[in-house]
Amino acid sequence: MTAPIALTSGDPSGVGLEIALRAWDELREKLPFFLIADYDYMRELAQQSGHAVVQITTPDETRAAAKTGLPVLHCPFVERPNIGVEHPQNAISTIASIDQAVEFTKSGQASAVCTLPINKKVLHDGAGFAYPGHTEYLAHLGGVDRSFMMLLAPELRVVPVTIHIALADVQSALTPELLIATITATHGALQRDFGVKNPRLAVAGLNPHAGEGGAMGHDEIEMIRPTLDQLRSAGLDITGPLPADTMFHPAAREKYDTAICMYHDQALIPLKTLNFSEGVNTTLGLPFIRTSPDHGTAFDIAGRGIADARSLIAALKCAGQMAKNRARYDAK
Amino acid sequence: MTKLKPRIAIIPGDPSGIGPELIAKLLNEEGVCEAADIVLIGDAHIWEQGASQADLNVDLSQIEEADVGKSSGLSWLSMDTIDPIDVKISEVTVAGGTSSLRCLDKALDLAMAGDVDGVLFGPFNKAALTSAGLNAEDEHRYMARYLNFEGYHSEINVLDDLMTTRVTSHIGLRDVAEKITGEGVERAIGLAEETLKRAGKMRPHIAVAALNPHAGDNGKFGREEIDILQPVIESVRAKQKNVSGPWPSDTVFLKAQRGEVDAVVTMYHDQGQIAIKLMGFDRGVTVAGGLPIPVATPAHGTAFDIAGLNKANVGATLQAFNLLVRMAQNHRAERAAN
Repeated sequence: MTAPIALTSGDPSGVGLEIALRAWDELREKLPFFLIADYDYMRELAQQSGHAVVQITTPDETRAAAKTGLPVLHCPFVERPNIGVEHPQNAISTIASIDQAVEFTKSGQASAVCTLPINKKVLHDGAGFAYPGHTEYLAHLGGVDRSFMMLLAPELRVVPVTIHIALADVQSALTPELLIATITATHGALQRDFGVKNPRLAVAGLNPHAGEGGAMGHDEIEMIRPTLDQLRSAGLDITGPLPADTMFHPAAREKYDTAICMYHDQALIPLKTLNFSEGVNTTLGLPFIRTSPDHGTAFDIAGRGIADARSLIAALKCAGQMAKNRARYDAK
Repeated sequence: MTKLKPRIAIIPGDPSGIGPELIAKLLNEEGVCEAADIVLIGDAHIWEQGASQADLNVDLSQIEEADVGKSSGLSWLSMDTIDPIDVKISEVTVAGGTSSLRCLDKALDLAMAGDVDGVLFGPFNKAALTSAGLNAEDEHRYMARYLNFEGYHSEINVLDDLMTTRVTSHIGLRDVAEKITGEGVERAIGLAEETLKRAGKMRPHIAVAALNPHAGDNGKFGREEIDILQPVIESVRAKQKNVSGPWPSDTVFLKAQRGEVDAVVTMYHDQGQIAIKLMGFDRGVTVAGGLPIPVATPAHGTAFDIAGLNKANVGATLQAFNLLVRMAQNHRAERAAN
């Protein structure tokens, strides 16, 4: 039986903890996960929303506890969070929750980490957190130099090669080396974590009409195609570079398992337009499995009971499925 | 006031592709021949080819060019643009390109003379057009030049009730950012508004997409939103236009899906085209935005892979026709008023 999933507290003033309670309500013992957060605060929150929490002291109590309430492993908040308010004092609590979750995966007590949204400014102000985001911090904890972002929904999986950079900087950031690393990591993750035996990858061009033979940019001819050819000759099943605008309609999507995109919005426009509610973010290239819901802290709607838990539920399910696939793959 | 029935010229597009078949199917769709007076422009054998490909009947009642402006119902202006033996299904041919251009020229002439109120064309093949002497970046530029039109014009992509215009179009991605100017954005907003009004939407809501991921995240990944887009949107809004943005482009199309916006002004080709083609690959329409006469066509191409097989989906052509009828009605009313 695979170990439970460790869910981090994220920013306790955002929507994370309320959707964690609702995710438990939906999943219960079907998919064991435990939350690393302040137990006393969670009990208060659960009472308000008519949910239940159960304090656990080790992750292996998760399965039994999940029958009656959301299992919570106590990790104290420095001060009681007010919903929708920045609490820099709680930054160290948020970071501790992440650290502990990663530790549990290292010891095998957790099968995956699922992270609730953080507020980077709060972490920076309260704890001098110097990482641009969750992903970079997790890479640091995992001892790797870089990682890759996959976004997925039932309809589509996408991996952008460049991510949070200005559009003006995309072209110069694209290198054969980065393309190869991204494709290789995606191919590996599809086999090991997604149970895809022979992954089929579709790679988008950078330019409109994939450059149309050089009429609108030479990146496809000079860089992308030769790099893909190299990977193809190494045996990978890759199509492309394809015109990005005709890659994502239903018939086109049937022909590949994951789309590799050159920039953030090339990947995110199709994903979010297809499925805004159930998008999941997963980080490839870490030594442990990590997923997260594809939204932020949403301070503006926190505490009102209207935050949508579907993305978190999808992220937890995805983490559980990835853990199972990985265990099966590694056992071979 | 009852709307005047517009008169629409229809040309088949490239005879090697699915255009003739699509027009035959269009004419047999319920309500089409009642919605407008229709003038088919093209060689008899091409229309017969389309009818035979679609396994449908196309009624050819010939009229003279001088009578086009008085015609009603479905009529046909005969052309002699291509020899039947030169029609090669699913092939790029100079003859096919020449036929496309000659029919287009005739339709544009009739529209400029006021004999028809709009032009619908079946898919062209760009390589064929180019080989036949298009001598322009695309058919939109060709039409503008043919009409001696020097104002701002640009292809507009339409899906159902959503239009998208672009600030930049067929250029490499590396060149996009530097081509985003306040002037260009304002023009694209204006084109969207003008075209929506021509289609009968009198106070359209126009959303402007951001250039950078997360709309730049307060300048962290690019400053174009702060330096260019926000100021131009504010200045346009001060002119009482219903314009909003810059919106992160990965969620702006959700607003469109919810019916909250009538147009999205995009910064680059794929930003809008990815979403439009994803949401309705079979229904997309292209409008020649800015031209003095209404022109529309299905967004898809000649589909050589299914040409002649009676597999072509008439959906986008029908959408193009319906939109063109609305634009042509307003065009006719405007001309009558002037």
